[in-house]
Order: sequence, then C-alpha cells, then structure tokens
Amino acid sequence: MIFLTVGTQFPFDRLIKAVDEAVGCDGEEVFAQIGMSSYEPLNFRAVVSLDKDQFDRYFREASGIIGHAGMGTISLALEWNKPLLVLPRRKKYGEVVNDHQVGIAQKFEELGHLLAAYEAEDLRKKMRGLSQFVPRSRQTQSEAVAGRIAAFLREVPQIG
Amino acid sequence: MTDIHGNRLKIALVASSGGHLSQLLKLRDAWQGHDVFYIVTTDVVKEKLGADKRVYVSGECNRQNIFRVANVFLRSARAIRCERPDVVLSTGAAVGCLSCFVGKWFGARVVWVDSITNVNRMSLSGRMVRYITDLCLVQWPSLAQKYKRAEYVGNII
Repeated sequence: MIFLTVGTQFPFDRLIKAVDEAVGCDGEEVFAQIGMSSYEPLNFRAVVSLDKDQFDRYFREASGIIGHAGMGTISLALEWNKPLLVLPRRKKYGEVVNDHQVGIAQKFEELGHLLAAYEAEDLRKKMRGLSQFVPRSRQTQSEAVAGRIAAFLREVPQIG
Repeated sequence: MTDIHGNRLKIALVASSGGHLSQLLKLRDAWQGHDVFYIVTTDVVKEKLGADKRVYVSGECNRQNIFRVANVFLRSARAIRCERPDVVLSTGAAVGCLSCFVGKWFGARVVWVDSITNVNRMSLSGRMVRYITDLCLVQWPSLAQKYKRAEYVGNII
C-alpha cells in the first residue's frame, strides 16, 4: 500500500488529483490523509486527518510514500528508510509563497534520497518505480552544528 | 545548572511548525544547561515539546497577509519583552525573523540557522535577518560563499 500525505495545514488538490488519475489507470493500492484539500479521490480511500499514532502506523507500514517536498515528510521518510515520491508545491499554482520545494526536491533527488515529479503529468510514470526505489540514507552533522552554537553561547554575556 | 563557564543564559527558541521546528529540535544539545523558552506558531506543537516547557504561541503568518504578520509580531514581541532573553535562536520562518529583530531591539544576541530547504539562496527571512545576526549558519556550502556573514558547519537534517 502507498500512503499519500499532503499535511493538514494547506490543501494540495493537484497532487491528490494526479495520484487519483494514476491509480485509475494502474490500480495501485493507496490510502491518503488529504487535510484541507477539496478534491475527492474516486479511486482510493482518504481521510481528512489522522492522529499521530495512526499517521505513524500508516507511514511505517506503507511500501512507499507520496507527498509534497516539505522537510517534515522528507525527513520522516529518510528516518524510516521509506521510498518517497514528491511533487513540489509551486508558487505558480498558488500552493506556496516561493519555489523552495523545487530546490530541495532537485537536490535530494540528485543525492538519491527520493524520487521527484515536477509536474502532475510526470507523477504516474514515477509512481511505477516507487516501491522498488531504495533511498540512499543521509548523513547529517547536527552534532557539529549544535557544537558550533554551544561554543558561540559560551562567549555570550548575560544581559540581566 | 550552568555550563562549564558558569554562564547560564536565557534563550528564546523560535520556529514555525513543521520542518523549521524539527530542524530546531535537532540542535537541542546546543542549549543544554541554559534556561530556554519557545515561541512557536501553533498550539498543537506544545504537546510535541512537552508539558514542562515554557511555550508562547504566536499564530501562523506569511508575507501575503500583513494583518497576520502584525499579529505574529505583536505576540512574539510580547513574549520577548516579558522574558528578556540573552539570545534569540531561530531556524525560521517569518516568526523567527520577527523575533530576531525584536530580540535585537531588546539587546539580545541573534543566532539564525537557515533551513535546509533553501538550496540556491537563503530564505527571505534569512536574507533580511542576516545583517543583525551574531551567528548566521547555512546548510549548504555554496550559500556560505554567496553571503558574507553566513557560515557553513554542516547540515542538521
């Protein structure tokens, strides 16, 4: 089963519609959390929101994840080593205030962490490869960054 | 509890819900031993942070709605005016930017960590706030070359 999540804050009808059309043709099993989106999928089951435990369970048990290119979705997929396909939200469709999701999708696609479709028409093709996709795990340096900040804080005098 | 220099600071930790906050929380080792409080954008993340934390909720905003920006500004300003932090540390977005300016006004040091999602240039908030930062970190090496005040140590997510 593929788990489609678009977050609960902002709608993302373009993605749900694209997945719906792909499922209509290829018949993959999909379950979705669609939040504020108004498009109602015909070909798979969808709920408005899930609580955290349910969300985690669907996420963990899915063979693949489809979502927007938000850092929340991306880092969760990497954490659980899940194949992830993203469709970046775009400014030109009024989905977000700038195109930063395109930048991060391109970069992480290049690094082998995820699959990306940049327009809705490309989604169906990319979806076919999703379950077989093996994401490259990501090395981070959060300890070094925290250490840099801690070192800075040691030099800060108290105001009070 | 104090750090090895006996220097216990009050630190405002500021982030919007979602990716900004998850990046901030990856840095928790940085503020061990200091007195911290949070400014976040939604009530739901209070639970994520834990009941024992001091949390102020500013509401959400983006640059397209000036009234919401004003509301977030007032709420974060109120939190900072009451708490008088020594340092404001933020991973973005708008609420972080606004809080950094307010904090600076009240004499705090400002630490900005630009979100990893900004690959080709710093976020709008980051570009505005970088002039008043005391430490400005970016998560891609190319950005540290592009912006004079920005420093690259590594990525946090």
